[in-house]
Amino acid sequence: MRDFELVRPSSLAEAIALLDTEDGGVRAFSGGTGLMLMMKTGVFTPTSLVRLDGIEPEHAAIGIDDDGSLRIGALATLSTVEHSPIVQKVAPLIPEAMKRLANVRVRNAARIGGNLAHGDPHMDLPPVLAALHASVRAVGPDGERTIAVEDLFAGYYETVLGRGELLTQVIVPSQAGWASVYHKCTTRSADDWPALGVAVSLRVVDGVIADSRLMVSAATEKLTRLVTAEAQLKGAETKAETFARAADAAVAEAETIDDARGSAEYKSSLLHVYVRRALRDALSRGALQ
Amino acid sequence: MDSSTLIRFTLNGQPASARIKSYFTVVDLLQSLHLYGARESCGQGLCGCCTVLLDGVAVSGCLTLAQLVGGRSLTTVESLDQSGILSPVQQAFIDEGAFQCGFCTPGFVLMVHQLLERNADPTDDEIRDHLAGNLCRCAAYPEIIRATKSAAARMRAAATA
Ligand SMILES: Cc1cc2nc3c(=O)[nH]c(=O)nc-3n(C[C@H](O)[C@H](O)[C@H](O)COP(=O)(O)OP(=O)(O)OC[C@H]3O[C@@H](n4cnc5c(N)ncnc54)[C@H](O)[C@@H]3O)c2cc1C
Ligand code: FES
Ligand code: FES
Repeated sequence: MRDFELVRPSSLAEAIALLDTEDGGVRAFSGGTGLMLMMKTGVFTPTSLVRLDGIEPEHAAIGIDDDGSLRIGALATLSTVEHSPIVQKVAPLIPEAMKRLANVRVRNAARIGGNLAHGDPHMDLPPVLAALHASVRAVGPDGERTIAVEDLFAGYYETVLGRGELLTQVIVPSQAGWASVYHKCTTRSADDWPALGVAVSLRVVDGVIADSRLMVSAATEKLTRLVTAEAQLKGAETKAETFARAADAAVAEAETIDDARGSAEYKSSLLHVYVRRALRDALSRGALQ
Repeated sequence: MDSSTLIRFTLNGQPASARIKSYFTVVDLLQSLHLYGARESCGQGLCGCCTVLLDGVAVSGCLTLAQLVGGRSLTTVESLDQSGILSPVQQAFIDEGAFQCGFCTPGFVLMVHQLLERNADPTDDEIRDHLAGNLCRCAAYPEIIRATKSAAARMRAAATA
């Protein structure tokens, strides 16, 4: 690796100013786990890394709003989120997914903002958070905005974040009445990244699906919401035929890709199986109070 | 330009300082100080051979910039027998034969210490989950789980003695 500078601003505004530059070698440095891999493999050569841990105290807190929604500071480590009793109460799917996300040491270092900003389509939290209808707060040189997690990704390793824009918070609405499941499938590829991730959330009223959210990741170039599959579910009874129709729609809709983890065709077959399985499991899991 | 910076930190409980390059990892830093317990194997955060504790929290030395250690406390496997006596986890690994070549052992030992600090009596599943990011090419996994349970029992006995 080549020499670079590591700076540690003590306010968000200062961090944004440092990052608001034409120089592509300047990047925000959160837990560094994604960046270090890119630096070690030569994919990214930094000129200056902007540490975010200097603004940690105000941007790592986890709290709950009056309306029951969860607010997670972007600098909270994945371990903190995993072990937070508040997160466990509002959105138990998040700690459940953490158990199979990387390993204890990576979770100790990586932060939820870095995780979402990395843009790797194989990651677990984007589909999970999108299925939970979560959004993020982003602050940049032009001010602040809210972005739904399902709209955060522009492509392979690409987000919609602009120059100097930083994620500051993840907001997960109350999950009362919803049942959610996340399944991933790894195919023993050398890198062990999943071939497919499927996250679903269901709201069932009197045996009929009132509302649903279906996400696919890893098998597609970026996190994808399966809207035609959701349309199949709306107003339908919770039975195997309904779930099969949704799976057919999901396969027609998702643009699966060929890579080391399997062919596009194979991933489409996996998708059919996993959509049905995830819907069935969400139903039997039952809604949160 | 290839310059170096001086960092001061606490190493295994003692004040320490070192001259480092901007791109040094914690493994590079420790090697420059002739501490070889944390060693790089995968270099990607997967295998745990480079495990160290930064302010008491387990991280991969291979994915941690040495610059981040400035002003903080770094603990390596070499801290465990500073009194001249092996730690209960180290002793349990020997008694249960929880290694062959020993390359992965410092990482496993530090991870097991972390687990037992939080959970005095872990189940097999909890041990497996916690150690999922540590790889042993000699496949001493059954013995490592036995050693972890044995160390836990010793530490519980010592705590109530
Ligand atoms: C061994 C290993 C195994 C892994 N396994 C998994 C797995 O099973 N599942 C999974 O989901 N992931 C996995 N990962 C990926 C891991 O989750 C990410 O590396 C990590 O979450 C990134 O977070 P970070 O804080 O370390 O980000 P960094 O590496 O610091 O940053 C990543 C990117 O985000 C940008 N960034 C950081 N913070 C912000 C912010 N607040 N606002 C805007 N941009 C920001 C950075 O500039 C950089 O481009 C694995 C990683 C490793 C090393
Ligand atoms: S060498 Fe660091 S985790 Fe493998
Ligand atoms: S004892 Fe040889 S790698 Fe674990």
